[in-house]
Amino acid sequence: MYKHRNWGKAAISTMLVAALVLGGCGAGGDNKKSAAGGGSEVVVSKEGFPIVQEPITLKMFTRIAPVNGPFKDMPVFQDYEKMSNVKVEFIEAPTDGFQEKKNLLFASNELPDVMFRSGITPLEAVRYGAGGQLIPLEDMIEEYAPNFNKLMEQYPEIRAAITTPEGHIYSLPGIVTLGSARTDKKWINKAWLEKLNLKEPETLDELYDVLVAFRDGDPNGNGQKDELPLTARTGLPIVVAMSGSYGLDLQFGYNINIVDDKVEIWMGNEKNKELLMYLNKLYKEKLLDPEIFSQTEAQFLAKQGTGNTGMFFDQTNNNFLPIADQYVGIAPPEGPYGDRLQSQGSPVPRDPGAFAITSVNKYPEVSLRWIDYFYTDEGSTLLRFGREGEHYEIVDGIPHYKPEFSTAETQPKLTPYAGGGAPHIISEYVASYINPPQVQEAQKKLDPYMPEVRYAAPMFDEETAQKVNMLRNDIDKYYEEQSTKFIAGALSFDKWDEFQATLKKMNLEELQQIYQEAYDKMEK
Amino acid sequence: MAEKIAAKGPSDELRFDVIVYLIAAVIIIIVLYPLLFVVAASFSDPARVLNGEVWLLPKGVTLEAYNNILHNDKIWIGYRNSILYTVVGTLINIVMTLLAAYPLSRPDLPGRKGLMLIITLTMFFSGGLIPSYLLVKGLGMVDTMWALIIPGAISTYNLIVMRTYFQSSIPWELQEAAHMDGCSNWRLLLSIILPLSKPILAVMVLFYAVGHWNAFFNALIYIRSEELYPLQLVLREILMISQSAGEEGGNVGLEDKILLSESIKYAVIIVSSLPVLIMYPFVQRHFVKGVMIGSIKG
Amino acid sequence: MKNAKIHETVVVPQFRSERGNRLLRQIAKRYDLYLMLLVPIVWYLLFHYGPLYGLQIAFKNFNPGKGILGSSWVGFEHFQRFFDSYYFGRLLWNTLSINLLSLLLAFPIPIMLALLINEIRSKSYSKLLQNITYIPHFISVVVIVGILNVMLSANGPINMLIQGLGGSSVRFMESAGWFKTIFIGSNIWQNMGWQSIIYIAGLSGINPQLYEAAKMDGASRLRRIWHVSLPGIVPVIVILLILDIGQFMNIGFEKILLMQNNLNLEASDVISTFVYTTGILKGEYSYTAAIGLFNSLINLTLLLLVNRFARKTSETSLW
Repeated sequence: MYKHRNWGKAAISTMLVAALVLGGCGAGGDNKKSAAGGGSEVVVSKEGFPIVQEPITLKMFTRIAPVNGPFKDMPVFQDYEKMSNVKVEFIEAPTDGFQEKKNLLFASNELPDVMFRSGITPLEAVRYGAGGQLIPLEDMIEEYAPNFNKLMEQYPEIRAAITTPEGHIYSLPGIVTLGSARTDKKWINKAWLEKLNLKEPETLDELYDVLVAFRDGDPNGNGQKDELPLTARTGLPIVVAMSGSYGLDLQFGYNINIVDDKVEIWMGNEKNKELLMYLNKLYKEKLLDPEIFSQTEAQFLAKQGTGNTGMFFDQTNNNFLPIADQYVGIAPPEGPYGDRLQSQGSPVPRDPGAFAITSVNKYPEVSLRWIDYFYTDEGSTLLRFGREGEHYEIVDGIPHYKPEFSTAETQPKLTPYAGGGAPHIISEYVASYINPPQVQEAQKKLDPYMPEVRYAAPMFDEETAQKVNMLRNDIDKYYEEQSTKFIAGALSFDKWDEFQATLKKMNLEELQQIYQEAYDKMEK
Repeated sequence: MAEKIAAKGPSDELRFDVIVYLIAAVIIIIVLYPLLFVVAASFSDPARVLNGEVWLLPKGVTLEAYNNILHNDKIWIGYRNSILYTVVGTLINIVMTLLAAYPLSRPDLPGRKGLMLIITLTMFFSGGLIPSYLLVKGLGMVDTMWALIIPGAISTYNLIVMRTYFQSSIPWELQEAAHMDGCSNWRLLLSIILPLSKPILAVMVLFYAVGHWNAFFNALIYIRSEELYPLQLVLREILMISQSAGEEGGNVGLEDKILLSESIKYAVIIVSSLPVLIMYPFVQRHFVKGVMIGSIKG
Repeated sequence: MKNAKIHETVVVPQFRSERGNRLLRQIAKRYDLYLMLLVPIVWYLLFHYGPLYGLQIAFKNFNPGKGILGSSWVGFEHFQRFFDSYYFGRLLWNTLSINLLSLLLAFPIPIMLALLINEIRSKSYSKLLQNITYIPHFISVVVIVGILNVMLSANGPINMLIQGLGGSSVRFMESAGWFKTIFIGSNIWQNMGWQSIIYIAGLSGINPQLYEAAKMDGASRLRRIWHVSLPGIVPVIVILLILDIGQFMNIGFEKILLMQNNLNLEASDVISTFVYTTGILKGEYSYTAAIGLFNSLINLTLLLLVNRFARKTSETSLW
């Protein structure tokens, strides 16, 4: 690690020297010479474009979703190369098997210059940062990532989420200032409600009745009991979607409530038991999709599009656009204890580890400046929409895709935002597609019930991070498995005490203490 | 005694035969049914398959699924890759295994036992994934087809089988006689041993080729570029992987693909198994001879 | 043998004993055999023995930045962690029980199938049975699990049958109770025919006179199978048993991984899949290397035990 401190010093002193030497003749007075790791020299302009006078090449490792085409064919990277003089060679790994490949890359020290859209977890950031494979960025951000810096000042939670206790920043997240891009809306089949003469459910009991009516009332009118009352993404997202009705919040990106400065991991809590019992009831009575633990993402999305589903959770209406009229977003139902919280939701730094610079990168400042552009509305527009006139048009002051680029085939080939996790800013300005009026309406229903602050997963120092990892490996695996079984009825609630005892044996309290300390530090 | 057999023998024998034939018939049904079901489903209307209407015969016959596969680039690229990996890989496998198995089959090779021990031990130990990966990377083979071929160039199990075949079914006297005639060991291998080894070679080709065709794990680890993915990885995606959870906009258009994958599942199973099944009858008659002799004496 | 002669004169040193001389001469005479072996042996050293140095990360805190050699030693910490882990008991139990059950159930069936085929008199019927039972062997694990998903799904034929008989549908693939049955059952389905080849071959090598003699003694067909057929293939059975046990702890990794989900994890969590999910997906290389090493050790111990046992009792062994 100190190697990089040395490097930092070297860079600063070289810059000073360069400033002295070039002071008189630098074009904008802003051009400085900097030397990096390998000792190669490039001129990095701190403002405007191009970023470098002489073209350079950066190797970036990235994830490519099944829907995307090659990144090099995307207009954003073609245009930005011309603009910045930085040529990017993407090393693309498909989503399926990406995690394996990313870890092997680090394990074998086969580093690219930059990790782009690589979903580096906080643990990985600390682990590989402390190990010297990712370089700390905090000293460079102010100077070379002014736009990102501005965002950090505007939203202090960003800095809190990406800074380690030692003060290092090893990766930059994807930033989402648009509230509605951080929640899954609760979409309910309005057409069915109307047909059955029901109103939007306000409580869990009402929700239950509505689902029963969906199941038995033949709302699709085909005479068969083939309606699917409720579904969600495979696995436990259903718990996340419903936990707010029992007052179970999701702070720090984990099963955590913060009440009166006290951190509580609620997995063994009685309210969680009741939540699971409620879900178990739905599952048993076939109100909750029997395939909820086995369906693929594809199947889930398909169910959104059929119109034969009563209720599900998703961020946008993009997956059921053709029948979007049929659905409406509702508020979180109130639970038996009067709890009514939209606990599901992401923090402003929504996609952690979207961008990081490795130790082999000879041009860290250039790389940082390169990415900084995407933290502006202008850059984000380029990334998400491509070229004006060709791919998008400005309507009502904000960019809208031309019709031929809002289709499933064309859009993901146009932009790397499709597939998720790209390092850029998602603001209202670039959200015409994901935040149409219907989605805005649905978000408004959630807004009153959002927690005051949404803490992102905290960064720990390396040792603590290891500890957390060890604890959570066991605990999370156990929790997920048992919760699944509770809901599916494969495990009786008589075993709840055993469940609590095992969590305790796995040192849940120690984990809670660690999060408490992280919280205390943050609040100070 | 002889009378006794004559008296109770035939009916007993007959009953036994009937039972044997019946059991055999049941086995045939059990083995074939799932395969026939998949075939039937692949020609059926996916909705009717989902409703559980298909038992044995296709319902709502359609070639839609096969038509979709025809137009699915990913599958064809995977197909092409798999064929390439299988052909090149098997070739290397055979040469390497032969080069190892033949010398080790020679009773007159000093140090044979020690070498065999070194080789057999590797069946039970490995250094783990990371060092192996580092090695493959060091050789510059990551993200190339060689990563799928070279690290698995010899299967020790197959080597043992082949060596045993040489030991037990090629008379040692023959080789000695050839030696007397001044035949070098290379000549011996190429012009005497090989022609006598067709059955075992056929079996080896089948073993190795099937292995290559069906492998997916190494590709998952070593292959990064999608255009180098073998068919099995493409299949895995279609048959069982849930796509990574939906980030905003991430799933635009996925829906169509999903429905598609639902409907082509069965056809994909058929299409992907076809080459191996086609190859099978050609080598089939060599099986018993090759495998048997290879294994009897371990 | 020109070459051999040259070597003789060049290589053999004066002071060698007579025996050493002969050995060297033998070696020299067959130098081309060693030449053939050269590439395979180098390959074995490189790809099998080379990576063994990596086992040390089981005793270290592997830090990729520092490399395998540069990481710091931690002794048996990772082993300790594994033994203390909540999952230790379950992983060990599942690994052992799945393999033991496979051995008990899946191992004898190909033998029985071979005996059955041997008893079929119609040649064409026996060929038909053989060829059909071979087919599944050539289907990939991915496809096999795909077929399982389809056959056992809520609307699959098996559940339709159950419902037709008045039962309620069973979620086979998402049930811990069914996992081992399905796993082993489908293994048998896939491999019984193929694995029976060896036994069939062995059976065909049995001297027909033995059967005649048994027949003359009035032995029934069943008794002939028991007293003639079975003993005839015992050596093959023993060798295959040893080879199977040699792979004891590794069986079916890919297939288990493909079949695994949270609802059957209780029964499907085995050491090899745990190593994969914890090691490669979560990056805990040292921890999982320790687990892998532990696995190999059990494996090797089992193998040595069985081999010794086999050598003593049936005079057949691997080496």
